[in-house]
Amino acid sequence: MSDFTGRRVLVTGGSRGIGRATALAFASAGAAVAFNWSRSEDGAEAAETLAALEATGARVCGAQADVADAGAVTALFAEVRAALDGPPDVLVNNAAVTHDALLMMLPESGWDRVIDVNLKGAFLCCKTALRGMIAGRAGRIVNVVSPAAYFGKEGASSYAASKGGLVALTKSLAREVARYGITVNGVSPGFVQTKLIADLTASARDELLRQIPLGRFAEPEEVAAVVLFLSSPAGAYLTGTTLHVDGGLTMI
Amino acid sequence: MDRHDLLAEVKGLLATGLRLDIPPSDIQDDSPIFGEGLGLDSIDALELVVLVEDRFHVSIPDEEVGKRAFASVRALVDFIVAERPS
Repeated sequence: MSDFTGRRVLVTGGSRGIGRATALAFASAGAAVAFNWSRSEDGAEAAETLAALEATGARVCGAQADVADAGAVTALFAEVRAALDGPPDVLVNNAAVTHDALLMMLPESGWDRVIDVNLKGAFLCCKTALRGMIAGRAGRIVNVVSPAAYFGKEGASSYAASKGGLVALTKSLAREVARYGITVNGVSPGFVQTKLIADLTASARDELLRQIPLGRFAEPEEVAAVVLFLSSPAGAYLTGTTLHVDGGLTMI
Repeated sequence: MDRHDLLAEVKGLLATGLRLDIPPSDIQDDSPIFGEGLGLDSIDALELVVLVEDRFHVSIPDEEVGKRAFASVRALVDFIVAERPS
């Protein structure tokens, strides 16, 4: 595994799942790591994540902040900068929400919230992080996207649109900041072993597994490993692309 | 810092910060910073935003402010004088 000693990382939506696994992987590799979470009901999980991060001995920071709120993002970055002794040189835009409903029945507020968190949130975090990265002439941005961006998903048009938008943002920003030594890439996790998957009926689970050539769900750590790769020196020549960590689900 | 010193400092920042191939004293006060003037493009402007914000403690949050601040070397000095904390 690459050594991230001396690197500063911010993972948005880091209280659980892929975000938590990614934050932990960076901390275990020597990085100073910050994460945020948004909903108060996620506070207990955030506290567990913070404790796990602290146990690695890394310099860490956990903060409650809604990435859809520009003022909150500014405050988050100020807090991260103070806690990690500098601005992040790796940004992982992982924070995301869903609002499952068929489009005809999707309330406007649901559409807005999904786009605001998943797409505008990434925009605001990139915009803020870039100032430090350009000053340092180095940086890595990894955006967590989804197969839904490529194939669409019934009942999740807002989520799919937000992730499709994030793929396009990834490519555009990669072109804009390449000359500053900053890379911008996506990671597209397929079905990850989470509580959602564990709660499915056996037949629903089998139906999903039939779509995955590797025949199993991903562990969050397997997604985190690819985020670390893109952020490491070994990933230096990739930009504007998306790596599909999905067991062969999409093959694009 | 008076205006004359500030003008010299801004020219120095442009020349060294942006690695221009000209000495600061060759930069004209009315040179447009982008395009014809110093030959910089809009992506070079991103670094200038960061350099000016860090050095002079001003905020250039978006394109609208950037266009005003970077109209010319003189305009940039005017902007800094008007916006920097006293």
